[in-house]
Amino acid sequence: MSIKKTSLYGGATAAALALTLTACGGGSNGGGAAGGAYDKNATVNIGSLYEPQNLDNTAGGGQGVTEALNGNVYEGLFKLTDDGKVENLLAQDYKVSGDGLTYTFTLRDGVKFHSGKKLTSQDVKYSLEKVIAKDSQSARKSNLAVIKSFETPDARTVKVQLSKKSISFVYNLSYVWIINSDAKSLKTSEDGTGPYKLNKWTRGSALSLDRFAGYWGDAARNKQVVFHYYKDATALNNALLTNAVDVVTSEQSPDALDQFKSNQNYKVNDGNSTTKLLLAFNDKAKPFTDVKVRQAVSAAIDDKKLLESVWGGYGKLIGSMVPPTDPWYEDLTKVNGYDTARAKKLLAEAGYQKGFTFTLDTPNYDPHPTAATFIKSQLAKVGITVKINTITPDEWYTKVYKNHDFTATLQEHVNDRDLVWYGNPDFYWGYDNKQVTKWVDEAEQASGTAEQTELLKKVNRRTAEDAASDWLYLYPQIVVANSKLSGYPVNGLNSQFFAYDIEKG
Amino acid sequence: MKQSTKRSYTLTFGCALAGLIALLALVSLFWAPYAADDTSGGRLTGPGAGHLLGTDKLGRDLFTQLMTGSRVAFEAGLGSVLIAAVVGVTLGVLAAFAQGWLDDTLSAFLDILIAFPTLLLAMLIVAAHSATLGSAVLAIGLAQSAVVGRLVRILVKRVLAQDYITAARTSGTSWPRIVAGHVLPNIWPTLVVNLALQFGLAVLAEAGLSYLGLGAPPPNASWGRMLQEAQATFTTAPAGALAPGILLVLLVIGVNLIADGLRDTLDPAARRRRA
Repeated sequence: MSIKKTSLYGGATAAALALTLTACGGGSNGGGAAGGAYDKNATVNIGSLYEPQNLDNTAGGGQGVTEALNGNVYEGLFKLTDDGKVENLLAQDYKVSGDGLTYTFTLRDGVKFHSGKKLTSQDVKYSLEKVIAKDSQSARKSNLAVIKSFETPDARTVKVQLSKKSISFVYNLSYVWIINSDAKSLKTSEDGTGPYKLNKWTRGSALSLDRFAGYWGDAARNKQVVFHYYKDATALNNALLTNAVDVVTSEQSPDALDQFKSNQNYKVNDGNSTTKLLLAFNDKAKPFTDVKVRQAVSAAIDDKKLLESVWGGYGKLIGSMVPPTDPWYEDLTKVNGYDTARAKKLLAEAGYQKGFTFTLDTPNYDPHPTAATFIKSQLAKVGITVKINTITPDEWYTKVYKNHDFTATLQEHVNDRDLVWYGNPDFYWGYDNKQVTKWVDEAEQASGTAEQTELLKKVNRRTAEDAASDWLYLYPQIVVANSKLSGYPVNGLNSQFFAYDIEKG
Repeated sequence: MKQSTKRSYTLTFGCALAGLIALLALVSLFWAPYAADDTSGGRLTGPGAGHLLGTDKLGRDLFTQLMTGSRVAFEAGLGSVLIAAVVGVTLGVLAAFAQGWLDDTLSAFLDILIAFPTLLLAMLIVAAHSATLGSAVLAIGLAQSAVVGRLVRILVKRVLAQDYITAARTSGTSWPRIVAGHVLPNIWPTLVVNLALQFGLAVLAEAGLSYLGLGAPPPNASWGRMLQEAQATFTTAPAGALAPGILLVLLVIGVNLIADGLRDTLDPAARRRRA
């Protein structure tokens, strides 16, 4: 699971929360009209609110490190395309044994690290071991726990033995950076194989990447990329208006967009996001142990009005944890849809005719206080009293995520394919349904994607009907860019931002 | 007579500014244009007939929030100053009477407390406790009591060195009576002026905490929270940010003018000059 980091409260406290195991790739066949002629030696200035905590994605670097370095500086054995398909990247080829337990990867030839060293199977082994190491803070750690052993028969072959079948194994590998096994101090420097190498990171302001001359594939279409970091969305928008930056990776408020929409020098792209806002019940705490109470609360909240309030026409409604870009998506917005009469009836059936009172642990940054205020006023209409308890990201991590000491909370979940968390009864929301756990396990061990999709669709429907959580809405992903720019990712799912195809006219 | 004209001008003007906002706060106790959780207004309507200052993102009336915000500001200011006065005067008087290591310890404690930025101390207390107006007030009050305490210590020490204290002592007056009869009457003019200044600072500190989302939890309106919420929509709906910002400035200027005016009125030296 993964939670969006806020800039409001300074980087420090949010750091603990930035468990970005951001998944599925925003492809690079992105926005902007292809302008024909472009400057091959251009510098592209990218504006972002998410500065990395450090440059190591196994040491709590946060979502900023994924945004800046994934695909740009570091590459995996595989990469994910815009529609969520897995493509070979550093792996030229791979074979799976009949029992699905042995994966043999053949590495691409002629790949060099930025330091000049040639990529070998030892580096791949080192990089994988780094992710599953004890002190690793990589959010992929638990997904890759199925790895039993490695073999490196020659410099271009890696054999991985799994303890049980894992259909998502190759998909999960697209998040594992392949790093030079000799590299040191990865928190402040890098040694990857990507089309850019790190030039300079000025903490608190900017991170610049230069085109890598020895890149194995097609060279980047610009000479330099500079990520400029802002603490405040208004300042970031002003930077775009004054041409200090060419593109903003992710707009956080709809109200600043009008100034760009009415201006032909800018393009506003409304892409797909996988970030969901959840009212997460503690399904092991009263009264949310009762499915009828959860359904009642879900039915009593007008998600459409909330989305309209916060995002003014952008974003989508969802009826479950699954965004439309996941293969097992199904429109379930009608399940437990807004219906106050039904909510009251369900409450009466559950024995709460007179309603009840519960505490809602609310992170202190946007949009949570606004959403909490809205939920309080909505639930008051069916007799439920909400006590809003404001907490910092640090507290949320300890109190809610680690200690499960809460009744209900608000949180944003960034990743695609994170429906499977409902199969883990020990996860913070405490949803414990044996059948769902079994389906999730079976889906992971499925022999083909059709079978996996079928099983996860069942999980999707069951968790939605059970109102395991209340999925309030799906965020929009809005990239605003100067019209001279083309080739940037518009989906940027899970905060990836591939910069190498960006052309500046 | 020039002195006295200026004095009455600042005091009157200060009272008018602060009084206006106090009136808003008082009225909010009995009446507001809309209920606090009434979200029927539509998104960011802007100033108009139905809503004097328009609505926020959720469709709640901004003027209603502004009125509640004035009440919260006064609660924060008065509560903090009360804590600062009680704790600060007690500590200050104790430190002034104490001798040797006790005096050093108390002074060092006050100095350390002062070295802590108010907002940081407040954030610590709020994090350890929970984010409510009560813990914000407690935090701000404690931080300010250090400032008050150090001031009181110096003032009391100066009074204690006076001949009439020695005279009172030799005539057999007990220490508690000396404090009540001689010390406090001599220090209170300076103390009151300082407390008035602390009131303004407390209002600002509460707004700062609320801005960071650590003040009174929603849906309680606070000027700081309103500023924070309106920041992203400043270009499209500026009233949401301007109104609480202006009121905050007016209230703080108001109490500072009152403090200035009080100093002129109460300062014994100034009084002697006028006589």
